[in-house]
Amino acid sequence: MSELRLMWRNTRMVVLCAISAALYAAVLIPFKVVPFIPGVTELRPANAIPIVCSFLFGPAGAWGSAIGNMIGDFFGGASPGDLFGFVANLAYGWIPYKVWELMADGEAPVITSPLKLLKYAIACLAASVLCAVIVGWGDNVLVIRPFAVLGNVIIFNNMVSAMVLSPFILAAVYPRVKKGRLTYQDMMPEVRRKPFAIRLVGFVLLVIGEGGAWAAGNLLSTGFWKPGFLPAHWLEAPYDKPVMIVVGPMLLLAMAGLSLM
Amino acid sequence: MPIYRYIEGQSFFHRVHPAVKVFALFIMFWSVYWVDNPLALMPLGILMLIAARLTGAWPNFYRLRWFFAILVATTTIMWLFFYQRGTPLFTIPLFYLDEHSITMPLGRHTHTISFGGHTVALSVTGLSIIFGVGRGLKLAELLAASVLFLSTTKVEEFTVGLSRLRVPYRFGFAISLAFRLAALFGDSAATIVDAQRLRGYNFNEGGPFERMRRYVPVAVPVFMGALRKANNMAMALEARGFGNRVEPTTFIDYPVRASDRLAFAGLILLGAFHFMLYYTGLGAIGPATHRPASKVPAKAVARSDESASAPIYQSSFRLP
Repeated sequence: MSELRLMWRNTRMVVLCAISAALYAAVLIPFKVVPFIPGVTELRPANAIPIVCSFLFGPAGAWGSAIGNMIGDFFGGASPGDLFGFVANLAYGWIPYKVWELMADGEAPVITSPLKLLKYAIACLAASVLCAVIVGWGDNVLVIRPFAVLGNVIIFNNMVSAMVLSPFILAAVYPRVKKGRLTYQDMMPEVRRKPFAIRLVGFVLLVIGEGGAWAAGNLLSTGFWKPGFLPAHWLEAPYDKPVMIVVGPMLLLAMAGLSLM
Repeated sequence: MPIYRYIEGQSFFHRVHPAVKVFALFIMFWSVYWVDNPLALMPLGILMLIAARLTGAWPNFYRLRWFFAILVATTTIMWLFFYQRGTPLFTIPLFYLDEHSITMPLGRHTHTISFGGHTVALSVTGLSIIFGVGRGLKLAELLAASVLFLSTTKVEEFTVGLSRLRVPYRFGFAISLAFRLAALFGDSAATIVDAQRLRGYNFNEGGPFERMRRYVPVAVPVFMGALRKANNMAMALEARGFGNRVEPTTFIDYPVRASDRLAFAGLILLGAFHFMLYYTGLGAIGPATHRPASKVPAKAVARSDESASAPIYQSSFRLP
């Protein structure tokens, strides 16, 4: 987690963060391919950029993803829910390279075998789920949109971009970035990784937390699950309090796991 | 590509201190958050439309007019499905769900879950319509607030506003640099798209996934062009002392004037007014939906009790 703070001391990483954010925003705003729910979300090629930037620039890509999304939100209408969008996109850009470091340490993030594809898909899925769960939770707690809408659409949207676009961009860009010594490993050699066992525990906590949050959020926001331990007058639409109280701790567990990675 | 919506002008909104503008954006979020009733949301919406006229931001509002309409409509429809409260006004049959069963082979505990065999229908209630329209208006007003902000605030003013609100300098710098670079990269992406189209490349061919994959030849050159700038930009920044730990200075000065203080006080009043709408229940559409029962004023509780036997949409719908 310290690299998210340390990168701000490195001028090149600050520039790469701004470049990641600008690339994300530049593709996010004009290129909206197929609207899923007009005014809510659409199939956007831009969602491939944070994944690419994460594998290339690590923490700078993570911050770039958060800032780029914020710029995009400003363009399409900012709301209090964008605070959650900021955190969610930070996680979306942070998880892929952390999971890759855990599962494929030292390997280039260029898909050349089915095993690498599987590892890549796991990294992207872990990132997409946490991103979706944070936005879905925040928007449901603020009663802006139901969890069941955003919590699922975002996962699908992010995964489509990550699987259809990002591998091709990475295959073209990664070798050149590596040669130009612009990857985060080249820029921040001082960052020490935690022991493998701790990172593995972190990953397990992340998966349990985000998986539980996703399932609980869906069940609660659609009214399929009405927890008996909550007051009866809370258990009605828009289910903001049940979602906040039940899904919140699971999100904290996922974030704790992520910080251990 | 107009990635930033700033419109040159000399209005009061243009001249107000950047920190007050950022605070105004927060107050808009705050005000809209506390109010659910569409009628109670109207005054703020009208206020923003007047502000759009006065500041010259109207072209930006007009350009987004369909987006505003779509935002309200889709949000209303979405909440019709998810806000199933009150007595149904009418029911819309959607589709017939065939009967299905899933058998879980768990030895002695094997059991079968059956579902379907009925028509899935949407029950539309008066309360769900009011709630949905309210949510749609909220989002439209939030969009209006951000459009108004972007129409009257330059990138450098936004950065100054953030730094006055104690956002770290390097973070604020990254945001302002990203805003500027986004326009540059957007232009190069548009040029590449045009160049590819001239070569006969069709971006709209095939299904959604194919259409998405067709953006690879755009993304790669934009990416490489951006990375070529990274090294030079970092060197230029360090040459200008960016790495220094000393607090950076700025050549643009934004003094706090009496009008800024006045605007700040007005914003506090606006925020307090909307909180009072919530506190008195005038901004609500249901009894104590979003606040603890202990905080419900005695008058509101009495009113709820009187109508306890009535259908929920009748007892809960209170106009300001």
